[in-house]
Amino acid sequence: MTPAALLALSPLAIVAATILGVLLGIAWRRQHAATAVVTGVGLGLALSVLPLAWRMAPLATPLLVVDGLALFAMALILVAALACTTLGHAYLEHYRGAREEFYLLLLSAAAGAMVLAMSRHLASLFLGLELLSMPLYGMLAYAYHERRSLEAGIKYLLLSAAASAFLLFGMALLYAQTGQLDLAALTAGLAGRPGGWGLAGAGLMLVGLGFKLSVVPFHLWTPDVYEGGPGPAATFLATASKVAVFVVVLRLVTTAPAFQAEAMGAILAALALASMLVGNLLALRQANLKRLLGYSSIAHFGYLMLVLVVAGDLAVESGGVYLVTYLVTTLSAFGVVTLLSSPHGGEDAAALHHYRGLFWRHPYLAGVLTVSLLSLAGIPFTAGFIGKFYLLALGVEAQRWWLVAGIVLGSAIGLYYYLRVMVTLYLVEPGMRRRDVAVDWGGRAGGVVVAGLALVTILLGVYPAPMIAWVRELSVLAGG
Amino acid sequence: METAFYLSGLVAILATLRVITHTNPVHALLYLIVSLISVAMVFFALGAPFAGALEIIVYAGAIMVLFVFVVMMLNLGGAAVAQERTWLRPSTWLGPALLALLLLGVLAFDLWRSDGGRTIAGELLTAKAVGMTLFGPWLIAVELAALLLLAALVTASHVGRLASRAGAGTTPGEERS
Repeated sequence: MTPAALLALSPLAIVAATILGVLLGIAWRRQHAATAVVTGVGLGLALSVLPLAWRMAPLATPLLVVDGLALFAMALILVAALACTTLGHAYLEHYRGAREEFYLLLLSAAAGAMVLAMSRHLASLFLGLELLSMPLYGMLAYAYHERRSLEAGIKYLLLSAAASAFLLFGMALLYAQTGQLDLAALTAGLAGRPGGWGLAGAGLMLVGLGFKLSVVPFHLWTPDVYEGGPGPAATFLATASKVAVFVVVLRLVTTAPAFQAEAMGAILAALALASMLVGNLLALRQANLKRLLGYSSIAHFGYLMLVLVVAGDLAVESGGVYLVTYLVTTLSAFGVVTLLSSPHGGEDAAALHHYRGLFWRHPYLAGVLTVSLLSLAGIPFTAGFIGKFYLLALGVEAQRWWLVAGIVLGSAIGLYYYLRVMVTLYLVEPGMRRRDVAVDWGGRAGGVVVAGLALVTILLGVYPAPMIAWVRELSVLAGG
Repeated sequence: METAFYLSGLVAILATLRVITHTNPVHALLYLIVSLISVAMVFFALGAPFAGALEIIVYAGAIMVLFVFVVMMLNLGGAAVAQERTWLRPSTWLGPALLALLLLGVLAFDLWRSDGGRTIAGELLTAKAVGMTLFGPWLIAVELAALLLLAALVTASHVGRLASRAGAGTTPGEERS
C-alpha cells in the first residue's frame, strides 16, 4: 500500500484505532465520561483529517475508493456519530449497568458506514454493511431489560439477516453472469445488455439495500425499531446508517448499467412513489413521536429516490444537498427526543402527550423541536426547504411528473402531521404529565449540540450558498 | 512413511469407533480429539502439511476444546450415560450408517478404477493463492472482518449479561470482567 493510499484511508484507520483504544480503556477501568471523550476526540480527529484525504482523491485501492462522494458521506457519517456520542453521554448518564460498550459499538458502526461509503467492490460493500449492522443490533438492544428495546434489537437482527441473504444472493447472480466482484469490472461485464441473471441480481441487491433504507415494501420494521431502540441508537440508525446505504446505492446506480435498465428505472420510480405516499399516510395517525419520525423518514427516502431514478450530475448534487439537510434536521429532532428520555424511567419519552406544553417548561428544547419539524416539513427559511426545492427542480427538469406530484402531495400531507405535533408543544393543560430533562440541559454537551443543530438548520435555510458550493465541488469528483 | 500412514489411519478409525460407542460424553469427545489428530497425521503422511496443520489448529485446537469445555460446564452425570445407552439402538444409527456406506461405496469404486486425473475441471485453489490474496490486496477485508467479529463479540457479551446484575444497582466497575 502506498503512502498516498494510507493517507487517504487515514480517517478509517483513526476510527479503527479509536475502537481499540476504547476497548483497552474499558478493559483497564470503566469510566463513562472518559470513554465518551476518547470517542469524541477520535471521531473529531478523523473528521479533521478528511481534508488531507481530499488532497489524495480520487484514489482507488482494490477494495475501497476515496473520491468526492465517499468523502462527502464520510463527513456526514462522522458528524452524525459525533452528535450521537454527545447525545449518548447525556442519555446513558443515569443508565444502570454497563455504559461504556455503547461507544465501542457506535465507533464500530461508524467504521462500517465509512467502509460502505468507500466501497468499490462487492466484498467491501458486504463487509461494510455487516460492520454497520452488527453493532446496531447491540445498540438497539442496549437497554435489554426494557422489553421494547430488546424487541427492537431482535426484530432488526432477524429482518436484517434476511435482507443480507437477499443481497448476497443478488451478488452471487451478478458474479455468475460476469465472473467479477469489482464494481468497475462488473460495469464492463454488464455493458450493453445486462441479461436476465444480471438484472435479477441487481433486483435482489436492491431488495437487500432497500430494506436498510426502509423503502416502502420493505419498511415494516422501521416504526417498531425506531420506537423501541434507545434514543442515540435510533438517531444513528436514522442518520448515519441511512446516509451510508443511500450513498452506496447511488454509487451502484450511477456506475452499474444493470441498474440503469429501463425496467429498473420503472421499479425505482414505483418504489419512490409508494414510499412517499405510504410513509406520509401512515404517519398521519401516530401518537408517538419516534414512530412518527420513522414513518416520516420512509417518506423522505421516497423523495430522495427521485435522485436514483434520474441519475445524472445534477442528481448527485441535489441528492447531496438533500442528504445534508435531512441529516441536520433529523439529528436535532431525534436529539430532543433523546434528551427528554431517560432509560432509568422506563421507555423513552416518545408519546405525544409527554410533549404537551413542552414550550412552557423548556422553551429552548421546544424551539429546537419546532425548527426541526418545520425543516422536515420543508417550510422556507429552513434547511429542509432548500433540499426539497432541489428535488422538485430536478424532477421538473427530468420531466418526471408523477414523482413531482408525489413530492408535492407528500409534503402537503406531511405538513398536517408536523403541524399537529407543533401545536401540541404549545398547548397548556392543567395537570400535564411531566417528563423533564436535567435543569441545566443547555450546559450539557447534548443540549449544546441540539441547539447548534437547530441553528445550522436555520442558517442553511437562509444562506445555503456555501453548502451548495461544497456539495458541488465534491460531486464533481464523484465519477472518479 | 507408509507405516505412519496406516498406523494413524487405524488409530483414527478405532478412536472414531469409540466416539460413537462411548456413553460418557467427555470421554467420547477426548476420543474425537485423538481421531482428529490422527487424521491430521494422515494428511502429513500424504504430503499435505497445510491441510494437516489446519486440521489440528481449527478442529482439534479450537472447536474441540470449545466442545469439551461446554460439555464439562453442562456437567452431565450418570443419567446422561444411561440415556446414551438407550439411544444406541439400531433404529437410531441405521439411517446414517447406510448413507455413510453409500459414500464408502463411491470412494471404493473411485479407488478401484483409479486412472487418475479424473477430477472436476477447474483451477486448483492452493493455500498459497488464498493467503496471497487475503494478505495482499484484500488485507483491508481481513481487518474489517476482525472488527466485525469484535463488534459481534461485544454485542453478545453485553446483551448476554445477566439481567439481575445489570438491572439492580451494580456500580460501574464492579462488572469488569
